[in-house]
Amino acid sequence: MSYLTLSHLEKSFGPARVVKDFNLTVEQGEFISLLGPSGCGKTTVLRMVAGFELPTSGGITIEGQDVTHLRPNQRNIGMVFQAYALFPNLTVAQNVGFGLKVKGTPKAEIKGRVEEMLSLIGLSDLGNRYPFQLSGGQQQRVALARALAPKPSVLLLDEPLSALDAKVRVSLRNEIRQIQRELGITTIFVTHDQEEALSMSDRVVVMHEGIADQVGTPFDIYNRPATRFVAGFVGTLNTLEAKVLDAAAGKVALGGAEITLPGPLPAGSVTLGLRPEAVRLGNGTGPQLQATIKDVDFLGSVIRLRADLAGQSIAFDTFNTTKTTPPKVGETVALGLDPADLLVIGG
Amino acid sequence: MKRAAAWSILLVGMLYFILPLVGMVEFSLSMKRGVYSFEAYRVVFADPQFRQTFSYSVLMAVLTILFGVLLVVPTAFWVRLKLPGLRPYVEFVTLLPLVIPAIVVVFGYIRLYNTSSWLPMTGSVTGTNLLLLFGYSMLSLPYMYRAIDTGLRTIDVATLTEAAQSLGAGWFTILAKIIMPNVLVAVLSGAFVTFAIVMGEFTLAALLDRPAFGPYLQLMGANKAYEPFALSTIAFIITWACMGLIQLVTRLTKHDKAAR
Repeated sequence: MSYLTLSHLEKSFGPARVVKDFNLTVEQGEFISLLGPSGCGKTTVLRMVAGFELPTSGGITIEGQDVTHLRPNQRNIGMVFQAYALFPNLTVAQNVGFGLKVKGTPKAEIKGRVEEMLSLIGLSDLGNRYPFQLSGGQQQRVALARALAPKPSVLLLDEPLSALDAKVRVSLRNEIRQIQRELGITTIFVTHDQEEALSMSDRVVVMHEGIADQVGTPFDIYNRPATRFVAGFVGTLNTLEAKVLDAAAGKVALGGAEITLPGPLPAGSVTLGLRPEAVRLGNGTGPQLQATIKDVDFLGSVIRLRADLAGQSIAFDTFNTTKTTPPKVGETVALGLDPADLLVIGG
Repeated sequence: MKRAAAWSILLVGMLYFILPLVGMVEFSLSMKRGVYSFEAYRVVFADPQFRQTFSYSVLMAVLTILFGVLLVVPTAFWVRLKLPGLRPYVEFVTLLPLVIPAIVVVFGYIRLYNTSSWLPMTGSVTGTNLLLLFGYSMLSLPYMYRAIDTGLRTIDVATLTEAAQSLGAGWFTILAKIIMPNVLVAVLSGAFVTFAIVMGEFTLAALLDRPAFGPYLQLMGANKAYEPFALSTIAFIITWACMGLIQLVTRLTKHDKAAR
């Protein structure tokens, strides 16, 4: 039996159905990300797990116990919020110990656990400070320690990195993942940042208009998107229209070249998806496409190029090395690709 | 030129407010012919009725503050958290005491709760004291509610509440340990204004026949020359002390920065 089960969850606010037949099973110690654009229902799902929203229908079980109708303070769930939500009137140590104090834990035990948690987040010396005396990153670490101190059965993270600057965000996401692995705590992480979701999670749930479009490992989500939305939302994807020459054989005409795809295709035309990193600049094995460079973006280690491929726009990346110079705007180049990298995303 | 004009206007304004006060204090010190003395104050403090009415009003003020806090903090919290759509209506209700005169309220009380009514509260001292307490709470409601609501606006009530709930806290713990401490300055502001209102209130206390400080002030004013001015000076000092305390508490609150 799974550790956390969300079955047929539905949530409506008035006439608006925000979450539609949402199903998910989470194993103990797993790190799951709910990824999707604003308004897709990911936070609502998280709030239903926390108990802040009551599902319109469906159920939630944790360790086999139905918690659907339990109040938030009865669920033993730890939550970290985007806005930190540290109690301004309490010191860092008091904040971390709050959950234990509410539970009636003996003072000596609280002290020990608070010290342990502060050491875990590397803020042992700041126990006597007030939240306003800490940086954003430190406040969020304290919020994490506070959520973990009462040893919750599930940890919920509601876009905890969104309010932080880019550098802190990267270091804190590594720290969160490391702590999560160390404690082996089952975690649900809500984010609209695909990089965060892909880099931190065991599995990612891509949500779209209240539905879980795809649930899978970051590798699967990125390389084998199940829907057009997932393909477009996760990572950068070129969408190219191709004419089907032989549906049964999977042969298409694209950019002046004939390409044979691994499987059969619908007749007429298809929309193909191609990741920028799947395109090779220059001659090589496999189909060759002729394209005219339209734009060159220097991004440091990578150079992103945009080119015109028989009237269609295609973006691709090439590594920046001192030995090669990138093509110039207006130059005609040969592009190579592996047909297996082409994703059929629409007939 | 402009600067001089501004200073002149400020000076005239200050004189307009300060001169009557100086006159009042000066007259209160002139009980003994030819010399300034605190004789009027000595007489006032020696009067057992002063001590009785003053302590009665202080007690009523403290009870009114307690009742007001218990009534307003949970109400304002709940409205902000769960019923934001009702805020304009609640605000309107809290403003009603500013437009309904105390005399109307007290006659309403007497009519509703007289000895021949279904709830004869005026028939006993405790009942009448309770009526006075409710009346005072009503008079201070606009100030108390506004102060606390402003305090709640400075913190993220919803997120703090959810954070506390996720840590296992119930409503009482949330209100007592999280919300109250974070709006304490606002609560104290409301409390001090309430204190000042109760200490000087006349209409309710006089018509409910309670031995409060307000009716005593009026009584002295009608029968004595210097003592009423000493009493007015005392009342004035109490009010300003309350204002000063609000400022002091605001500055001394350690975590205040965080709440903003």
